Amino acid sequence: MLELVAALFSSVLDAAPPLVFAAVGATLSERAGVVNVGVEGMMRAGAFVAAVAALAMPTPLGVLVGMAAGAAVAFVHAWLCIRWRSDQVVSGMALNLVMLAAGTFLLEAVFDSPNATPSIAQLPKWLGHSPLTWLAFVVPVVAHVAVTRTAWGLRLRAVGEKPQAVAVMGVRVSRLRFSAVLLSGALAGLGGAALSTATLDRFEHHMPSGLGFMAVAAMVFGRWTPLGAAGAATFFAFGKALSIGLASSAPALLTVVPQGALLALPYALTLVVLAVSGKKSAAPAALGQPYDPELR
Amino acid sequence: MREALRRALPSVLAIVASLAACFVAVGLTRGFGTAVDAFAAMLWGAFGDWPRFFDDGGSGAVLRPLGEAGTKAALLTFTGLSVAVAFRVGLFNIGAQGQLMVGAVVAAVVGAQVELPGVLHVAVCLGTAAAAGALYALGPALLKRHRGVHEVISTIMLNWVAVSLVENWLVVGPLRASASGDNSISGTAQVHPSAELPRLLGDTSRLNLGFVLALVAAAVTWWFLARLKRGYEWRAVGLNPEAARAAGIDVGRSVVHAMCLAGAFAGLAGAVLVLGTELKYPATLGAPYGFDGIAMALIGGGHPLGVLGSALFFGGLRAGGTRMQLFGVHKSFPELIQGLALLLVAARYVWDRLLARLAKKEAARA
Amino acid sequence: MIELAHISKRFGAVAALDDVSLRIEPGERLALIGENGAGKSSLMNVLYGLYHPDAGEVRFDGRPVKVRTPAEALARGVGMVHQHFTLVPTLTVAENVVLGAEPSRGGLLDLDAAVAQVQASCRRFGFSVDARARVDSLTVGSQQKVEIVKALHRGVKTLILDEPTAVLTPQEADELFSVTRALSESGLAVVLISHKLKEVLAFATRLAVMRRGRKVAEVAPKDTTAEALAALMVGEGNASDSPLPGPLPAGRGEVVLRAERLAADKLHDVSFSLHAGEVLGIAGVDGNGQRELAEVLTGLRAFTGTLELFGRRCAALSPGEARGLGVAHVPEDRLRRAVVADMTVEENVALGRHGAPPFAKGPLIDFAGRRARTAQLLDAHDVRPRDGTLRVGALSGGNQQKLVVARELDAQPKVLVVVQPTRGLDIAAVAAVRARIHDERARGCAVLLVSLDLDEVLALSDRVLVFFEGRVTAELDRAAFDERLIGRRMLGVADA
Repeated sequence: MLELVAALFSSVLDAAPPLVFAAVGATLSERAGVVNVGVEGMMRAGAFVAAVAALAMPTPLGVLVGMAAGAAVAFVHAWLCIRWRSDQVVSGMALNLVMLAAGTFLLEAVFDSPNATPSIAQLPKWLGHSPLTWLAFVVPVVAHVAVTRTAWGLRLRAVGEKPQAVAVMGVRVSRLRFSAVLLSGALAGLGGAALSTATLDRFEHHMPSGLGFMAVAAMVFGRWTPLGAAGAATFFAFGKALSIGLASSAPALLTVVPQGALLALPYALTLVVLAVSGKKSAAPAALGQPYDPELR
Repeated sequence: MREALRRALPSVLAIVASLAACFVAVGLTRGFGTAVDAFAAMLWGAFGDWPRFFDDGGSGAVLRPLGEAGTKAALLTFTGLSVAVAFRVGLFNIGAQGQLMVGAVVAAVVGAQVELPGVLHVAVCLGTAAAAGALYALGPALLKRHRGVHEVISTIMLNWVAVSLVENWLVVGPLRASASGDNSISGTAQVHPSAELPRLLGDTSRLNLGFVLALVAAAVTWWFLARLKRGYEWRAVGLNPEAARAAGIDVGRSVVHAMCLAGAFAGLAGAVLVLGTELKYPATLGAPYGFDGIAMALIGGGHPLGVLGSALFFGGLRAGGTRMQLFGVHKSFPELIQGLALLLVAARYVWDRLLARLAKKEAARA
Repeated sequence: MIELAHISKRFGAVAALDDVSLRIEPGERLALIGENGAGKSSLMNVLYGLYHPDAGEVRFDGRPVKVRTPAEALARGVGMVHQHFTLVPTLTVAENVVLGAEPSRGGLLDLDAAVAQVQASCRRFGFSVDARARVDSLTVGSQQKVEIVKALHRGVKTLILDEPTAVLTPQEADELFSVTRALSESGLAVVLISHKLKEVLAFATRLAVMRRGRKVAEVAPKDTTAEALAALMVGEGNASDSPLPGPLPAGRGEVVLRAERLAADKLHDVSFSLHAGEVLGIAGVDGNGQRELAEVLTGLRAFTGTLELFGRRCAALSPGEARGLGVAHVPEDRLRRAVVADMTVEENVALGRHGAPPFAKGPLIDFAGRRARTAQLLDAHDVRPRDGTLRVGALSGGNQQKLVVARELDAQPKVLVVVQPTRGLDIAAVAAVRARIHDERARGCAVLLVSLDLDEVLALSDRVLVFFEGRVTAELDRAAFDERLIGRRMLGVADA
């Protein structure tokens, strides 16, 4: 029994990083007032690019390149939403679909395999787990400090609630929001890279299989704070770990519960949690509204 | 009419730009001669091999590609309508894929396990599939209305639940077709012939009644949204729910009804897929028609006829895509064209703003 | 000394500013007056770096300077307090005041230093605000003080106040003026943007009048009168369109609406009756339940207590039911609640009655009927431009409001609930809307007028109810209107 719990705990530590990084990233963007449902696409970009880059360079470098890929996708989102005031949900979803198509296309065209890229060397483990796992403890804390204790964080919170207040004090709204969205893209890219270099050792054609949206759900559940989002992300990772763990460690369970139900578990859990946690009254007030300086 | 054309302009420009960009990309990597050949192959494969038709007069050269295009277009139309209808009331239905799967599996079951005379069987299969899709969309609608859960997240979660339950349990478990003889069959049992959607072009192509149904659905949706009071109400709800409420419109009910209709359309897409081409629920569904529906709806500007237009165009490109392989271009290239066009359309607001700015400059100068 | 020289600014086809020149001397109290849309706010926005002029330049002590952003304006000692507060409600006073120039220690925000700095500023300028309080817990008057401290904290030498008394009680306005007078006497230049002639004549040392983007006059208060200023603001030939109509003929009918112990959110316990053919005005500082009352009466908010419409008790009311009973609503925020900006004028005219003729035939929309009715209404209410196919969002604020009023009145209502009906409108539109209210009253309609502009309430109403903290603290008939008394009741002061 104890081994089961230890094994479960261990698999949560392995499954959490992608969700945690992406959730913290989403939080930064939305706290600044820019809806970011494109996290899924940014994770996919990060996962693919990191796995491919790691074929030609040391894996840690590959991870960094993956982060850059995520940030690049985020740049497009930021440009469309901030500079051109596009509908933020449409922009995010369009990027998701484009990354979906691009990932599939490149996988099949470049690697001739509809399933996965070749294996890469994973990051060397520290204390039994990938270094990214330990990083997943650090990043939320750093984000928390940045948001609550720095001038940048104060302005970030202000611009998400009332961009006019920030503008009249001489701070550039667009620059602030751009920085938040780019950071969220980099973190999402890191989350994707974690999937393909730590959780697994390759890019698989479905990645991140809805984890990006789960991260957004974690942000909502965590009430748009970095620590809350990280906590919620860990909870959802627990759901994922549980579904995999139960299948492998308690095969007898499979005679009663179909495997499909176990696979559906994390997603259903996310849904239930969101349904129960009620209306999202904790969202930043100016979330989703493009900033128009001439509108007073 | 002019207004409608003006609204379609950004989408048309986006598609043209996307085609151009992809053409250049192929040209640069494989040579422009190959690019021309590959794109030509795609075109003939999409809208009919007219050169061959003029050469040897066999109508199959034109009908087969058109039939294939039409088959794909039917599915894209249904899922596109699904997303577009939800857009009307201001919701983003990303769950078309899950609703499609649910509709497909129900159609497969009703088609295989129930015995009814021809027309009735088809009608019952379609009806139950639509109902299943509608029910699957009802959940997110209620969650949004009563608990404020964002429909993007809830519908996506349900997509994954559908994949897990349908393809990883039902289709390989209780609903699995029993193996006969040496063949091990994947997917569910074949549907009875009475449930199959009749072919429109005989043996020449897979084009089936689903195509006609899709055309009818687009026309009816357009008529509903443009001409009926209820359609007007839905539009008001989507554009300004507070004002709609103050005007006495039941916003919650409109949202639920629209989402159920959206789910029904996606369910019908699944039914057409099963009853028209696959004739059972296969091991995996293949093309993510549900997600493509989102692209169709966005490129089509949320308008039922725009959706139809996009679906016809991209359905054609998809059909033609297989022929590009002969020239070393991967067959999923059309998806890339579609993706790029989608991104450019999402930047339609860029077009809109640019056009608006130009208009303002004109007015100021006047 | 600041000089704005030959400033011009266009927004599309509209000239917001047309060759305007203005000087601001240190220590003076300059009032910039004109009706809505005259360009007063636009001119100051140019000085504050929010707008970039198409022509002309800004000079500080004779040297031309490009003010590109509010940060640059602040750096040059110019501060501005806007009409719509630019405070972040969820942050504290200190955080709001230091935003953009935050004290830090070792890379991290030093909130204690911020609080100390802000408290020092408050003391220096004679304000008493709790620097650690969250802004959304403060009253409107206090929030405005925070806005002023925000500017003064940066060491500004010129302070621009844009319509500061629009939402204050008479007493709070007095307090504001005495503080700013003291500040100007110690060297601060104050620019007051206002359309309230009485207060401007009492406060300013110099007046500049703007009309349609041009400066039309500069006078000293002792050399002019309110009537002369009004004429300058509005122009020759329009003096008859005075914003305040004459006294109303009496004519109160039977009770159409009775409320007893009505309660909902900020509304706590309100009882009154509304008669046909009267205008009942609701006076009060923003946030004391008036808004909620309007929402309750139009079916937009659930309530407890008794509500009787035309003798029938209503336990609950939906917007559709309210409309059906003959209640019309001209809400405060028309873009949010009254119109769908992306729909056409015709489609908006149908909104609320879209299910019945002439807008519908059975389940179908009656396009011809809708077009005809719209054309009729646009003509009758002088809505411009006369094009039913335009997007409502493209209309000016005044025309949008006229459209809403036209639509609501076309239903021949028995009760008309209007909230802030003339906010942000130009003089012609204000006169038009007030005339309509007048006409409805004469027709026998019962009008409930909620307005934060006390002058408007007193000018239009037969009877006034004063709200404070969700309760009625005074009820006065027209003959007994007393502005000072009402002001005290608005603040809950219950003297004799």
